[in-house]
Amino acid sequence: MSWIESLSYPFMQHALVAVLFAGIAFPLVGVFIISLNLIPLRFAMMHIALLGGAVGLFVQVDPMLMGLLFCALSALTLGPISEKTKISLGTISGYFMTLTLALSFILFYKGNINVIQAFSILWGNIFALTAWDLVIIGIVSLFVLSMIFLFFKEIQAILFDREIALAVGIPEKSLYYLIVFMLGLTIAVSMRMIGALLVDAFVLLPAMAAGMIARSLKQSFILSSFFGLVSGMSGLYLSFRFDMPASSTIILVASFIIALCMLFGRRLVSHAKA
Amino acid sequence: MHHSIDLVDIHVKLGDVQVLSGVSVEAKPYEFVSLVGSNGAGKTTLLKVANGMVRPFKGMVKMLGHELWPAGNGNGNGVRKEVGFVPQRSISNRFPMRVNEAVLMGRYGKIGLMRKPSRQDWDKTREALEIVGMTGFANKLIHELSGGEQQKVALARALAQEPSILLLDEPTTYLDADSQSEIMETIYTMHQQRGLTTLLVTHDPHWVEQYSNKVYLLKDGKSHLIRQKA
Repeated sequence: MSWIESLSYPFMQHALVAVLFAGIAFPLVGVFIISLNLIPLRFAMMHIALLGGAVGLFVQVDPMLMGLLFCALSALTLGPISEKTKISLGTISGYFMTLTLALSFILFYKGNINVIQAFSILWGNIFALTAWDLVIIGIVSLFVLSMIFLFFKEIQAILFDREIALAVGIPEKSLYYLIVFMLGLTIAVSMRMIGALLVDAFVLLPAMAAGMIARSLKQSFILSSFFGLVSGMSGLYLSFRFDMPASSTIILVASFIIALCMLFGRRLVSHAKA
Repeated sequence: MHHSIDLVDIHVKLGDVQVLSGVSVEAKPYEFVSLVGSNGAGKTTLLKVANGMVRPFKGMVKMLGHELWPAGNGNGNGVRKEVGFVPQRSISNRFPMRVNEAVLMGRYGKIGLMRKPSRQDWDKTREALEIVGMTGFANKLIHELSGGEQQKVALARALAQEPSILLLDEPTTYLDADSQSEIMETIYTMHQQRGLTTLLVTHDPHWVEQYSNKVYLLKDGKSHLIRQKA
């Protein structure tokens, strides 16, 4: 079957639509993660999404929906918990990361969930997306894009320096929680597409590449979306062409883009300065 | 609007350490008030209390006639729009932000949520950069600047905000002697021209002597009014 022929199949059309949405919108959340150093929170969200998926399989409800619900609830509660207990968000994230991983495995064991089902959460399957999955991916993507469009200047101030953003009269705390909320939703949805362990393919890697050459936040956003789209689309094509797992191939392409940015980024940046 | 600062019997704990234990500082409208004291005396903390950024567990904070603590429960975004804050620290992250964007940020609170900066906002930004002598740096990235240049940008941001109150945390720390005089003169000129109420944290007795209506010493968590011009 050729690549063109494959496009007539619903599974491939679904995968392409998902990559189109996620490739553009999800790397924008990666820009938040890098700028605000939310790496521990992102790890926690990945494991919380895994627990949501495990609960979904245990009670036989859509795992992505449960992952989404768990991440949304965690995103809304982790910040205030950290504030009330005066324990840093990083430490709280570490606590939830290990706790949710342990609970997930207990659920896998107690629910007699077979290995393939459990691994479908860990590895995801971009070719198994349903029309309903696409609706959720589309809604989350549009939500992220519209929030960035509406609150661009406030988000820019928070990513630059949270204290200064607060000092100039921006409702910094509410918007910071909005950013954490977007992070939670994005990771939950990415889990279904590419798996809990490879979420970074869409979320973090394109943003890392963009961060190496961007000279403004607008450039960071535009470049990370561009790299997300390129790595998603070409990863999908190459996985089909060479019969490799799609998630891993997308990551390989994204890593290659990062290597290119590392090699040529400095030259580009010094050229821009001149 | 009363351009005044009233900090009454402020008690603050940071973690387990009690930093302030009964500090009272008052700046009447259009006064220039200085806070002096050794490192760790709680001067920076007190400025953050004044701006509603640090919560006291006891005491009353009133800014521009609005009670931030305890009545306001720290909801001070409306007040913060009118308060220019110049922190001491420099920016260490590599976030890609140009100097003119960093100064424009001072306008964000007044522009309002979901609204784009107008031409007037950009004009105020250019004007503020000109006042601190940083016009030529407008398109540079913040993290490419020296600590002293970053302090000038922070001051420009506070001036672009067109505040009624100016809170300055050692605004000349990273500057050489000439630039220190230049910036302190700029601050004092702005204080007078714009009718600001200014609270300055400094180590330098020279500026304290020259500009202040009142000087408070912070020591052992308490405040002492050590000088007041008639």
